[in-house]
Amino acid sequence: MSVEAPAPPRTPGGGRADRPARRSRRPRGSVTGYLLLAPAGIFLLAFFVVPFYSLVATSLFDPSGSDFRGYEMTYAWGNYVDVVRDYWGPLLRAMAYGAAATAACLVLGYVLAYAIAFKAGRWKNLMLVLVIAPFFTSFLIRTLSWKLILADDGFVVNTLQVLQLLGDDGRLLATPFAVIAGLTYNFLPFMVLPLYASLDKLDPRLVEASSDLYANPVAGFFKVTWPLSLPGVVSGTLLTFIPATGDYINAELLGSTNNRVIGNVIQSQFTDANNYPVAAALSVLLSVLIVVMVLVYVRRAGTEELL
Amino acid sequence: MSRLAEQEVAGDALGAPASGEEGPYDGLRIRALTKSFGSYTAVRSLDLDIPRGSFFALLGPSGCGKTTTLRMVAGLEQPTSGTITLAGEDITRTKPYRRPVNTVFQSYALFPHLDVAENVAFGLKRRKVKDVAAQVEAMLALVELETQASKKPAQLSGGQQQRVALARALINRPEVLLLDEPLGALDLKLRRSMQIEVKRIQTEVGLTFVHVTHDQEEAMTMADTVAVMNGGVVEQMGAPSELYENPRSTFVANFLGQSNLIEGTVRRRDADLVTVDMHGVTVSVPAHRVHTDGDRGWVGIRPEKVLIGEVGAELDAPGNTVPGGVITDVSFVGVSTQYLVRMPWGQELQVFAQNTGRQRMFAHGEQVELSWRPEYAFLLDASQDVAAGADRVVG
Amino acid sequence: MPPRPPENSSAGPVAPEPARRSTLSRRGFLTAGGVAAGVGVSVAALDLPFFSVAGAAQDPMACRAADVSASDARMVISNWTGYIDPRNKPGSTLADFTSSTGIEVEYNVDVNDNAEFYAKVKNQLGSCDPIDRDLIVLTDWMAARMIGLGWVQPLERSAVPNLHRNLIPDLQGKAWDPDETFHAPWQSGLTGIAYNAAEVDEVGSFTELLTREDLKGRITLLTEMYDTMGFMLKVVGADPGDFTSTQWEDAMDRLRQVIADGQLRSFAGNNYLQDLSAGNILACEAWSGDVLQAQLENPDIRFVAPEEGLSLWSDNMLVPNQATHQDNAERWIDYYYDPEVAARLAAWVNYICPVQGAQEAMEQVDPSLVDNPLIFPDAELLRTTWDFKALDDREQSQYEREWADVTTG
Ligand SMILES: Nc1ncnc2c1ncn2[C@@H]1O[C@H](COP(=O)(O)OP(=O)(O)OP(=O)(O)O)[C@@H](O)[C@H]1O
Ligand SMILES: [Mg+2]
Repeated sequence: MSVEAPAPPRTPGGGRADRPARRSRRPRGSVTGYLLLAPAGIFLLAFFVVPFYSLVATSLFDPSGSDFRGYEMTYAWGNYVDVVRDYWGPLLRAMAYGAAATAACLVLGYVLAYAIAFKAGRWKNLMLVLVIAPFFTSFLIRTLSWKLILADDGFVVNTLQVLQLLGDDGRLLATPFAVIAGLTYNFLPFMVLPLYASLDKLDPRLVEASSDLYANPVAGFFKVTWPLSLPGVVSGTLLTFIPATGDYINAELLGSTNNRVIGNVIQSQFTDANNYPVAAALSVLLSVLIVVMVLVYVRRAGTEELL
Repeated sequence: MSRLAEQEVAGDALGAPASGEEGPYDGLRIRALTKSFGSYTAVRSLDLDIPRGSFFALLGPSGCGKTTTLRMVAGLEQPTSGTITLAGEDITRTKPYRRPVNTVFQSYALFPHLDVAENVAFGLKRRKVKDVAAQVEAMLALVELETQASKKPAQLSGGQQQRVALARALINRPEVLLLDEPLGALDLKLRRSMQIEVKRIQTEVGLTFVHVTHDQEEAMTMADTVAVMNGGVVEQMGAPSELYENPRSTFVANFLGQSNLIEGTVRRRDADLVTVDMHGVTVSVPAHRVHTDGDRGWVGIRPEKVLIGEVGAELDAPGNTVPGGVITDVSFVGVSTQYLVRMPWGQELQVFAQNTGRQRMFAHGEQVELSWRPEYAFLLDASQDVAAGADRVVG
Repeated sequence: MPPRPPENSSAGPVAPEPARRSTLSRRGFLTAGGVAAGVGVSVAALDLPFFSVAGAAQDPMACRAADVSASDARMVISNWTGYIDPRNKPGSTLADFTSSTGIEVEYNVDVNDNAEFYAKVKNQLGSCDPIDRDLIVLTDWMAARMIGLGWVQPLERSAVPNLHRNLIPDLQGKAWDPDETFHAPWQSGLTGIAYNAAEVDEVGSFTELLTREDLKGRITLLTEMYDTMGFMLKVVGADPGDFTSTQWEDAMDRLRQVIADGQLRSFAGNNYLQDLSAGNILACEAWSGDVLQAQLENPDIRFVAPEEGLSLWSDNMLVPNQATHQDNAERWIDYYYDPEVAARLAAWVNYICPVQGAQEAMEQVDPSLVDNPLIFPDAELLRTTWDFKALDDREQSQYEREWADVTTG
């Protein structure tokens, strides 16, 4: 320890000052700090800032360009107006599917994470492995296997039909339900793991304390378990909602032509139509929307410090 | 609290008949309470009566089943068998949140996401009590935390946290307040002042406190009644002074304070006096302080009750004189001097001599005679382990 | 008897269809992963500082590399999966090519999707850089686009005599390369209708496919614009080989109507026959080669030449700019235009063989395939095929964008 920082002013009440002296020690650690930040900074610059800049620039190109003639920078802000006008449907649909899948993941994931954290006993590790086991196969294969599960002549549909929950010519595949189910399935681990991490840290004695203090199990859950697991809930919902909203594989494989989402539009504008300005404008728009929603959400959840 | 009452209670508890046939009792009554974890029995057929409004201490070494007992009373653990009744009502299977019992946890278990006032208000809000804010304010005043009301637990000192835990439980005015070693984590000085504070609060509110500790000093200074637990059973229960002065087992004798235990053979049993031969020295023990029926036993005497004198000197404790000691260790601790004296049969006895100034200090190697008044001695069963309870950690 | 892949020894009762197989369809299993990669590449494709991007058109005569074929007996090919007989076997067409010419072939199966492959090579070819390939295989419309962009080297006529002698007439004279200067079809296929005979009656026309009540919500169309829009143009009475923009709009409107009616389940490029076989869909627009392969597992899958006609397409070998082994690539092309080699290849891949004389040679290879119309279509069938008109750059980007909008609504 070298130089002691000047003592912070005493609080008027004469009690201990709340703020430790640590704060003003910055100058000494700064060089090391920046050095440590450098790899992350370079990485971010190379893999986020540059591509994003390129994306924004592309979104402002003259939309009538083509590979053959090239694209001219005309600051065509109108591209953004156009994409909102033309594609608000798939955009809203993506948000709705993403939100529905996130909600489903939250309910299923919470139950699962809770069971693993508190009830699994020595099966805990095995169950965690099972949660991430689907990642051992490819995303596509997993999604395709849902086609089999939800097939029109498959077990699930037949069972539902026998139970009269689904009409005789009803189906699951190529419906929003299938898309949301696929998203829920594919992103469930992203929900379960942060929730598990939060719940596992939760001291079970706090729950006991709540029941000792007249909280029945329901009150105990909502007053103690739930608020203490909020960091997990927030990161879980973000980790689920963001990719689920941008995902297009599930809509492509499990949805019908009327269930296409913004990801499908971006993908086909980029690769099939080679309409880079529109595709880029959509990508930027989607990113900005998601960032805004995340900020609002994190604000409202009041958990900035938990992130 | 009258001492008399507790003496009765003690006798009552130990000689308690099988559960179920007693009249209503307004305190906490535990009968044949047993808890097994698999093949391990943590609490074995425990009987306790804790009168309403008393400060009851459960004392025992680590792992003896104190926490398990409290958890069963709180409803956080289901007993394997036995019953718990509170004010005449069987609460053995009642859900914890329906019991008029609150706990101050060993770890405090404060809710980290709630501030101090919200922590304290928790129980009242769950019961939809009116006027929560005023009660919380009053309670925080009682534990002197008014200024900390809006802090989170993590921003408090250990002692403040402990007081929040106390306030959080106390505000509910439970029939019984359970305190599970709440002072265990505090440093000695804070602990002493918290002991006084807890005792003050108990006197003020007049609730039944059941205080678990393995610090014998804490138990004795705070409680009206102390129960010493060992290996899942209560070894002895009674007022602190009675436990100290007349221990019934080697475990209690060693666990509460220190004792010299000397092997002896019973020579004669009279109505009020028993004569014991102790390696050729004859000593007597009052009959009510004899806790064995056998021919042999351990003669017990507290080190501060032993008088030390020069060979042949006049002793003011006629009756039990033990000659032939040699000083092997002297330690001066200010108020007293502690000697180790080797006896002719090889045993070393402890002697604490008050530094009254009336007697000179003895030096290492000097020949001395020991003596004590017969009414201070006690006789314990020879089958008990002479070292039981001696290895405790003194708080 | 010519060599056969071992899988065939246990050929089941699937006659009369041929029983050999590459297990993957030409399109590969799925392309979405690759598409994602393609998106990344496209973005990075735009050079810093991104203020405008030059056109990607090149002059093939100016953008060529010195040919080192003579000194370096190698060549590198990019082709679709399952599009050649097992190449590591002695006696395979590729092994014979190497042993007779001494040319070592690096054969990559990295074409899964035309658009994806385009995205992958766009940067290099658009700026006259090599893509380290001597031969690539792409479908007509993409071949046309690349030729139009000037990314493809002309073939030396004298080096590929078999091509000019043996290419079947129906594949000659494409609007975008009338005398096969730049391309040589590798395999061809028909686009028609497939249906599941266990579930529905024959679907005889495209109009039926789009209107029959019992098919509602149980059909798919292909994601390839040229295939599907060809049919839509036919449905509205236009000629895909020569249509006006009004007719195009009519066809688009008709397609939008089909989607709005809920007749269509989805647009598919992969796995659509699995859906057909599983009963999720009852009929679909389909490629002939895929149907032949699906029939091996499910004989109820039938291929129909619709009343509107068939689209005949090819996947074409192209020599990209800056290829360094063009001579070797031309020897390859010429080799595969030998009827006997073509028959051996066709016997394995099951697509339409573009080589005249291969049908006769097939007698020696596998007589059961000689009369298979999906390998050697007869003149009558070929008469009903059409070709999509050559689109100029503006039409192409306009149509492709409209198409993208319709398919991703
Ligand atoms: N859930 C449990 N499962 C198994 N054994 C347990 C469980 N809880 C307690 N025990 C065992 O029961 C015995 C008594 O435990 P308990 O917590 O009641 O001790 P204690 O008297 O409170 O000790 P300490 O003073 O160390 O807190 C111990 O041996 C302990 O290992
Ligand atoms: Mg304990």
